[in-house]
Amino acid sequence: MSTTGEKPVVLSLEGATIQFGGLIAVNNATFELQQGDLFGLIGPNGAGKTTCFNLITGVYKPTSGTIRFQGKEIGGLTPAKIAQMGICRTFQNIRLFPALSVVENVVVGAFLRHRTTLGSAFAYLPSSIRETSALKKEAMDLLEVMDLADVAQARSADLPYGKQRRLEIARAMATRPDLILLDEPAAGMNPQEKEDLQVTVRRIRDDFQKTVLLIEHDMRFVMGLCERIFVLDHGEEIAQGPPEKIRNDPKVIEAYLGEAV
Amino acid sequence: MKFWLVRLASLLLAVGFAFGLESVVGHQFPSIYRLVVLAGLYITLSVSLNLINGITGQFSIGHAAFYMVGAYSAGFVSKALFSHQPLVPQLWMIVMALFGACCAALTGLVVGLPSLRLRGDYLAIVTLGFGEILRIVTQNIGAIGGAYGMNVKPFGSPPQALWLVWLLAILCVAVCRNLLKTAHGLPFLSVREDEVASAAMGVKVPKTKVTAFVVGSAFAGAAGALLAHAETFISPDTFKMDVSFIILTMVVLGGTGSITGSVISAIALFAIPEWLRNLQDPVTKDPIQIPGPALVASIISVVIAVALFKAVQNRFHGSKPAKFGLYLAAIAAGFVCKLAFTPILAQAPGLAAKSFEASALRMVIFAATLIILMLIRPQGIFAHHEFSWSWVAKLFRRAPKEATA
Repeated sequence: MSTTGEKPVVLSLEGATIQFGGLIAVNNATFELQQGDLFGLIGPNGAGKTTCFNLITGVYKPTSGTIRFQGKEIGGLTPAKIAQMGICRTFQNIRLFPALSVVENVVVGAFLRHRTTLGSAFAYLPSSIRETSALKKEAMDLLEVMDLADVAQARSADLPYGKQRRLEIARAMATRPDLILLDEPAAGMNPQEKEDLQVTVRRIRDDFQKTVLLIEHDMRFVMGLCERIFVLDHGEEIAQGPPEKIRNDPKVIEAYLGEAV
Repeated sequence: MKFWLVRLASLLLAVGFAFGLESVVGHQFPSIYRLVVLAGLYITLSVSLNLINGITGQFSIGHAAFYMVGAYSAGFVSKALFSHQPLVPQLWMIVMALFGACCAALTGLVVGLPSLRLRGDYLAIVTLGFGEILRIVTQNIGAIGGAYGMNVKPFGSPPQALWLVWLLAILCVAVCRNLLKTAHGLPFLSVREDEVASAAMGVKVPKTKVTAFVVGSAFAGAAGALLAHAETFISPDTFKMDVSFIILTMVVLGGTGSITGSVISAIALFAIPEWLRNLQDPVTKDPIQIPGPALVASIISVVIAVALFKAVQNRFHGSKPAKFGLYLAAIAAGFVCKLAFTPILAQAPGLAAKSFEASALRMVIFAATLIILMLIRPQGIFAHHEFSWSWVAKLFRRAPKEATA
């Protein structure tokens, strides 16, 4: 109701740190995502970007520091719990359910909203049948939006690479998250596919009102899409701010971008 | 309304089928009755292991342990309590099946919980070890008969258990099929496919795995309880490691994840060795003897036929009917080889005089069948597919089209 200038904070990391033995993979990461942000996370290989994602989604528990989602501390919760709270992600190396069909993949995402019990499924009660068709319908609608409806019945492993990436986003969207994390969504895509993906990601934010946090190596993609960027190197923050600032930041240029971008 | 009518009808059909089977098989031939009972139990066992192994992807090879827990717990309680209660034997067996299922489910929970941290080979070793530990412990408890086994004869005469056994098998198939038909089955499948991605989608991976273990072992336990009453005698030897492996073979051979496959291969793998056990001449009732030359010729021709079959499978990329024709040709070539080689081998002096009893070769034939099937269809008979009427309809619909073309 209150529409003040400040938008509500969705995700905030305060000094989030994780240590594997002697290696500090992410050190003291501190940033904030506001509702509707398109936030980029960049840095050279091994900088700790994906580890950062794994911290947020509960794959790892932070050694120290806090991670808050919509005001609630989520550091150390299980991935399933975090997904239910409204954070969902895609993976750097695509992780679909290969033997399942495209629509089934999406229904797995939508399934966290199920209400019927396992017992009703065992007994094949009308309630569970209804729920199944409702979830399927939801999944089909989502596939329609993501332009995958024509391949809904195909095995997901049989899809071409670009469509698999899109399906992974659709599956994450099916959980109806408030915050969606995309781990290198444009990796391996050709320029045309990248442009389409940019449109898709914008639509996720504008039409579906999601907050997006993405990791990407393609600078043109990130600079053209994200409104704010966070740069990691060796687990440490080296810069944070809008694209223009990042592009001209001497530390970022030295660590990652190189000359003349 | 219509839904419930259909449901009621299918329930009645299932019970009717079970009773029908009971009366058709009858009690005149106790050996056949026993085999049909065991076949039903093996269907339950392989379909329930398929839930753990094929659908949820947890590689468990200790299924005989849950079978044993059900058998011993129900057998023990039945011996002690049946005479002190008013239920008739048939109802009592249902109660005991439920009791055996609960005991086995608890055991499944106990095994399932620590197994959450384990995957693949490691889980297989733990379940295998658990099965053996349980069997050896049983062997050393005097109160339940130790290594001698335990008589379970609470009713005096052997009970009519066949219909219950088959009803249990139908129930087990129905539960698994229902699970896969609804969205609730998808978390189980997704855990099999990718645990990390499942968790990221909000699937409670540990809960799903344990549920699979508990439900799968409950069915095995119920099967065990019925076994104890039907056989009237159980011993630790009934639940040796080979039983676990046979059940596992049924699941893999049928196609992991396919309920239809599990059912079909359970019947086939149970029936083949039993059928071979009693091979005898229909007229004289003598055991069938296979002459040496014919046996060696058969072995050679089977190898040739399988090699040809494999070659067609891998190298031929033409139309489906043509490929099917070539498969038939490969099999025919095998028969021709056998006919051709037999007289040639009969010339070999040492071989011609020898002959082998067919039933003595039964495990050899059984093993060869498995090897051949794994060679020509490694994904299992049904792979990931299920039997469905639309699939049958498609077969019939396509046939006339090709005839006219």
